[in-house]
Amino acid sequence: MKTILSPADISKKSPKLVHLEPEKLPQLPPPYEDFNKMPIPELKEERVAKIETSLDDTVALGIPKPKTKEEEERYLRAFLSGLQKLFEEKNNWTFLQPLLISMEHCAKCQTCAEACPIFEMSGRQEIYRPSFRSEVLRRIYNKYIRKGGKIRAKFTGDIELNWTTIARLAELAYRCTLCRRCASVCPLGVDNGLITHEIRKLFSQELGIAPKELHEKGTLQHLRVGSSTGMNPEAIKDSMEFIQEEMSEIAGYPIEFPWDKEGADFLFLHNAGEILAWPENIGAFAIIFQAAGISWTLSSERVGYDGVNYGVWYDDIQFARVALRHAEIAKKLKVKKIVLGECGHTHKALTVSADRVLPGDLNIPRESSLVLLDEIVRSGKLNLDPTRNNFPVTLHDPCNIVRLMGIVEPQRRILRKIAPKFREMEPHGVDNYCCGGGSGFALMSSYNFLQWRTLVSSRKKFLQILEAFKDEPLEIPKYVCAPCSNCKAAIREILEFYKAKERSHIYYGGLAELVVNAMADMKKPIIKFE
Amino acid sequence: MSLIIFSYLCFLIFLGAAGARIYKQKRLPMHLRSEIYPVQHEPGTKVQYGGSYMEEPNWWEKERQTSIWNEIKYMVPEILLLRGLRQNNHHLWRLSFPFHFGLYLVLITLGLLFIGALAMIYGVIISSKAGFWASFLYYLTILLGFAGLTLGTIGAGGLLIRRFRDPELKAYSSLGDYLNLIFLLIFLGVALLTWLIHDRAFAGARAYIYSLLTFGQKSIPYATERTILGWLTIFSGSIILAYIPFTHMSHMFMKFFAYHKIRWEHAPNFKGSKIEQAVLTNLKYNPTWSAPHIDGDGEKTWADIALHLPKEKK
Repeated sequence: MKTILSPADISKKSPKLVHLEPEKLPQLPPPYEDFNKMPIPELKEERVAKIETSLDDTVALGIPKPKTKEEEERYLRAFLSGLQKLFEEKNNWTFLQPLLISMEHCAKCQTCAEACPIFEMSGRQEIYRPSFRSEVLRRIYNKYIRKGGKIRAKFTGDIELNWTTIARLAELAYRCTLCRRCASVCPLGVDNGLITHEIRKLFSQELGIAPKELHEKGTLQHLRVGSSTGMNPEAIKDSMEFIQEEMSEIAGYPIEFPWDKEGADFLFLHNAGEILAWPENIGAFAIIFQAAGISWTLSSERVGYDGVNYGVWYDDIQFARVALRHAEIAKKLKVKKIVLGECGHTHKALTVSADRVLPGDLNIPRESSLVLLDEIVRSGKLNLDPTRNNFPVTLHDPCNIVRLMGIVEPQRRILRKIAPKFREMEPHGVDNYCCGGGSGFALMSSYNFLQWRTLVSSRKKFLQILEAFKDEPLEIPKYVCAPCSNCKAAIREILEFYKAKERSHIYYGGLAELVVNAMADMKKPIIKFE
Repeated sequence: MSLIIFSYLCFLIFLGAAGARIYKQKRLPMHLRSEIYPVQHEPGTKVQYGGSYMEEPNWWEKERQTSIWNEIKYMVPEILLLRGLRQNNHHLWRLSFPFHFGLYLVLITLGLLFIGALAMIYGVIISSKAGFWASFLYYLTILLGFAGLTLGTIGAGGLLIRRFRDPELKAYSSLGDYLNLIFLLIFLGVALLTWLIHDRAFAGARAYIYSLLTFGQKSIPYATERTILGWLTIFSGSIILAYIPFTHMSHMFMKFFAYHKIRWEHAPNFKGSKIEQAVLTNLKYNPTWSAPHIDGDGEKTWADIALHLPKEKK
């Protein structure tokens, strides 16, 4: 019988617990076979000498190695203190009940594993199995936190707690995209994605350990400067002026961006990163809202012009701080509702998660822009000519909007109306696969994390995209519609890394752009295949 | 008599431990929403594709509809046939289904024995030669009891062997996981042997339930002495009952919380609602998280911390 890594092996010291061999990963079809031999680039010794790299071939956190035994002991004490807090009402009322249910009822049937794209695309590496990290945490909790732990561990599974264990566990919490596909198939309702989130939270809220891209350059910068992009209110307005000019050229008439309009019907909360990376997305929304005669506004107040909320992936307090600022700004503007731009985690953070953080006047209704777009398209206010979108289109379902919010049909109704060559990926809807960039991965690129992400966690999505277009000639342009900033960032990297634009003419973009592209009265197309 | 007291004790432990688990769940603070779609009580076609009320424009202005019927349509095959496992882990379902279905049949058989024992208290004899209902009960008990014990034994044995032999299950299995299956296998196997050798009509089993209901009286139609196998069945069955609430097998009743209070719990927060009251209560907790950007001192409330920006780095 073959032996495989068990959760207890995480404590055993070795230079690396797992090494990925490219030949063992699921193979890519032609014309991408050359990537089947591509390894994850080795970490450069001089760059990683002082940080922990003993998990696998990449690094997300870069935790400095403790210099002394005392420092190691401090880390261990802090870890156990944080673990204890995860199970206390005053510290973790936010997720205590789901956490307890998931910790106490796993039957270890491994049904979750077959649902996980990272586990599958890694060639079934044990450490990426959804239950692996959960079982590590469960064993530490049973042995070191619960009463009678040492005896209990004989029955519930033993594990050694040392520096290697916690350093690897911290890294391992960033090898899951929190897509929660595993949780959706668990027959007992165990949520390994939630456990991963809780491990991230423990490290962030107790030890101050989180990826720089999510914390220092993410939520902290967002709250201090106004945006995780680093743009202050002046910079954002400058950028929007350029977009305004470009959109006016496309439309053939002046397009307005209303700022800080008190009493507007809604505050449009858009991802500021898009303003830099995909300016046409917010531009397309402005064109649509203007054509439909809708009263809307943007906010130029700090935090109010950036809808992202990275806290939802790793830190409840940071999440709540951002969500509360968004709600305060909307309240000040006296809008009737907040409409969330094409960004999956923004949707889930403010609509679902923040629903039980916002009391009283701060509980301003929130609505998805996909729902609003669907309403506008169905209203007949736009003059739409679907033949302008006469190219193959497939739809990526962002996990946060679809599986975790149940917004499935509005985007499809739109596409069926405006994209004559629309086809689904398989599987799709609530059974979709993550883009591989979920839970902040799309923002994380330190060391060689970007290559790991593209070769492993985004591999399934790339295979799905290729499958969706397999019957189309390579030379004709094709469009992956991804109504989420994070997903677009991941798909951009997939298409660039695998040279899919050059080899298969696959392009990507949002949903609003497709709507504008179908508007018969636009002077120029907004989507350019170049 | 000592066996009867032991069974009472085990039953009380089951009730106490299961009750404590349920009570603990019920008094936990309201958590943040973390539903996963499809939510099975969504109405109409939404449940088929996993849609939610958030697909509707201005959803907060509309009356939210739920469908108990949709939920029942999902839950019945999920509980009885383990539909989810069948779809997502068919390999394991082939053993898990007979195991679970066998246990359901054993539970129904226990219910039938209970009814039979109650009838005996009122002077009705349960036998093949009695009136229609009594003989129907007699044969139904034999049929379901035999089927349940056989399926359960095959399933438990198969799952135990699978857990030992499949490296992907073995690497994650603890002594407790094996013990759960071993205890159940002992109970089901011994009960099946007892039926086969001594008690084909479940008369001894019914007589024991009669004794439990009458605090130790022996039933007149079953006056023979209890066999070792019969004693072992009762003993192992009682132990199992007391043991279940302390293991993950408590999912038999805790699954309610996993599904109804977490996976499908998506009730929105409206002004003046009970949910809003619970939010306000939760925001008054005093966390002690130590990271510098939080600096929870146990005095500041969750709301205080969330409403203020983190301290600047020095």
